Amino acid sequence: MTPAIQANHLNLFYGTKQALFDVDILFEEKKITALVGPSGCGKSTLLRCLNRMNELIPTCKISGEILFRSENILKADPVELRKQIGMVFQQPNPFPKSIYDNIAYGPRAHGEHDTGKLDTIVENSLKSAALWDEVKDRLHDSALGLSGGQQQRLCIARTLAVSPEIILMDEPCSALDPIATSKIETLITDLKQKYTVIIVTHNMPQATRVSDMTGFMYLGKVIEMDETQTIFVNPAEKLTQHYITGKFG
Amino acid sequence: MSYMDNTTKKRVLREGVIKSIWLATALISAVAVAFILGHVICTALSGFLFNTNWNPTGTPPSYGIAALIIDTLLVTLGALIFSVPLGLATAVYISYVAPPRMRDVVKPVIELLAGIPSVVYGFFGMIVLGSFLQKALNIPSGACWLAASIILGIMALPTIISVSEDALFAIPKDYKEASLSLGVTYWHTISHVLLPAAASGVSAAVILGMGRAIGETMAVMMIAGNAAIIPNPIWNVLSPVRTLTATLGIEMTEVATNSMHYYALFGVATILLLITLLINLTSYWLIKRMQTGSCLPDRMRNWTHSEGMRVAVAAVAGIIVVWFLSAVLGILSAVVITAAIGAWYFGREKISPKFAEKSSFGIIYACTAAVILILAIILWDIFANGLPAISWEFLTGRPKQCGLAGGIFTAIVGTLQLVAGAILITLPIGIGAAIYFTEYSHENLLTRALRIGNDLLNGTPSIVFGLFGFAFFVIYLNWGTCMLAGQICLAFMILPTIIRTTEEALKSVPNSLREASLGLGATQWQTIRKVVLPSAAPGILTGAILSVGRAAGETAPIMFTAVVFSKRFITRDVFDPVMALPYHLFALSTTVPDVTTQHYGTAVVLIALVIAIYLAAIFSRRHFQKKLFR
Repeated sequence: MTPAIQANHLNLFYGTKQALFDVDILFEEKKITALVGPSGCGKSTLLRCLNRMNELIPTCKISGEILFRSENILKADPVELRKQIGMVFQQPNPFPKSIYDNIAYGPRAHGEHDTGKLDTIVENSLKSAALWDEVKDRLHDSALGLSGGQQQRLCIARTLAVSPEIILMDEPCSALDPIATSKIETLITDLKQKYTVIIVTHNMPQATRVSDMTGFMYLGKVIEMDETQTIFVNPAEKLTQHYITGKFG
Repeated sequence: MSYMDNTTKKRVLREGVIKSIWLATALISAVAVAFILGHVICTALSGFLFNTNWNPTGTPPSYGIAALIIDTLLVTLGALIFSVPLGLATAVYISYVAPPRMRDVVKPVIELLAGIPSVVYGFFGMIVLGSFLQKALNIPSGACWLAASIILGIMALPTIISVSEDALFAIPKDYKEASLSLGVTYWHTISHVLLPAAASGVSAAVILGMGRAIGETMAVMMIAGNAAIIPNPIWNVLSPVRTLTATLGIEMTEVATNSMHYYALFGVATILLLITLLINLTSYWLIKRMQTGSCLPDRMRNWTHSEGMRVAVAAVAGIIVVWFLSAVLGILSAVVITAAIGAWYFGREKISPKFAEKSSFGIIYACTAAVILILAIILWDIFANGLPAISWEFLTGRPKQCGLAGGIFTAIVGTLQLVAGAILITLPIGIGAAIYFTEYSHENLLTRALRIGNDLLNGTPSIVFGLFGFAFFVIYLNWGTCMLAGQICLAFMILPTIIRTTEEALKSVPNSLREASLGLGATQWQTIRKVVLPSAAPGILTGAILSVGRAAGETAPIMFTAVVFSKRFITRDVFDPVMALPYHLFALSTTVPDVTTQHYGTAVVLIALVIAIYLAAIFSRRHFQKKLFR
């Protein structure tokens, strides 16, 4: 078992309000890890620490360390870091550009201007995101014309185009209908062959369907982290049991 | 093709030749029609549109306005060359780079810049910039194209900044997160996602700034030199020029009603209107296009993406900039600056993103600092020279010797009366129209026509309102020069601004709020009154305030309709003329050769009045916002 990324003694404050309490957590490589827990438990906050998106909030203060490739990312350059750790958001957020330009945006920004290579990257990313067949004839149409589910797969493809190691997903299906959701879930399961995926979800069945590992968070603390099977069938903590059986949350 | 023998070839050739002959005859007839039409129109207009000699008082009089049109365009081009980069950089700074505390400093500065009346800019241009240019460049007079362009550029800055800042601010925060999460620098995010996404708003900003420059009268009249000639050579920025608006401003007061000259001036106003119409329609079309389809069609895409096209555009832009810069700063610095820009343009893919970010932000800081510095210099000059003139006597006394001495009490009161009347007339109409546009109307032919009409009214130069008021109220209705005419002209002038800003404010209220209210069973009017209007109030207020400030400082709409040079008593009847601060300053500056403390004192009071209005506005907006977010 190889750790892809791990957090040690992570504390996070928004102004004076503490959102994460001494979090220790380890995510395994090439596995899908789900973070579950009631609203406001800090799972999205934790996720957004891993590629330092929280720093966009001016009042946010973080202490502790997050190790990625045995380096503390809190002291590293966030721009370089985010090339390695991509993110998919709750709301599909394609740029108001063409489908092609959306995918090619990241590679271009990182200095790739060769049209042939870009074409290959775009095609491969769209294929990996199971979107190629639906859009290959209209790559230069606006991405905003796609359906919600297609937009979200486009955003995944856009993340893949930068070839990250880890993909963070912040409730990627919560704005989608069941059919689009199931497509994305299949896609996520396929992704683990090449990528480490960490997914925040509200949806318990989704966690059981897609994830190998599940972490349960409550009030800014990681209560329990284990194989998904174990968490949902035989959790060690009472609190976890109560949550997954729907007694609160 | 072996089966095609010689006879066949000949036959094909013959057919082709015959076809070409018929084509040629067809073309001849088409060309003939075009030529005849063109010749007739040209001949008809050659005395007016294509004639470069404007001399209505000569013998024989000549009414050619080509030189006026070219001068107008040149002055506007010059203004845009430096106000667009400065303005965009400042807008980016305010919306994306500035820490919140700095934003709270810079935004009022921009609003203040917008609030300085055009006649004060003209005064500053005459006294400070003009004499500076005269000494620095060793020219007979500082009143020239360059001076006019600089002043107009400064005046267009607030428009460009605030409109593009609004557009940038409206871009969803999602885009920023999405881009940053791909490991892209913030600057790259701004330049490749956020700015393009706001392209429609930003181009609207530039075009509105352009309209502002073309439509300005007072400042141009005071510093452009007013010689109706085309600069020789055409890039000679030190040549005096005369714009369409200045011609109206100078000659309208001196012309005999219903003379040929009088009608020629209305011809000038028509051309001015047509130009602004063209500008506004272009911007309207541009924005519509970008709103409906954010991607260009394939053919245009290939065209804009081709390397040759880019180089061509860069070359043309480069030549224009070099022209201008070399005339202003000398050849050497122009070459250096152009080389730097060129090096950046062609080397930008090779430099590291980090370096690009640092240097771009550096440029942005510098531009913002320059904008603040401009304001500081203007205010410092006016206040340092004007404050000594301020006394109780000056503020409350009545004018003596036709305003050359004594106080300016009647002018202060007159300005307040004009503004109050204008806002009372325009506010209910403007807010009502905006509510109709955003809340009640569905897109149909009528609303589209109304909206276009409003946009066109917005682009109408202020002098045209004055001209209209003069011809309609003063002459046709025979009211004579009176306060009411001025109030109505000012009201018309600020109406589109009020409608537009109110509309923007209403649109920025999220639809979910409306739906939430309607979902609770509230009626549409209840929803608007209890939910939409309170959320939009700060925006509406800002618009109204900016308009009041603008009306207080405007001279062009009132100078033929409402004001007199000197008046000893406060006006109590709306059908009596008034005295107004901006016109007073204008009249003093243009008729009294020596600069006196009277000038500066009037300028200080005018600015102070505007600032007071603005401060009141800023405070009440803050108050509203606090209430809203608590």
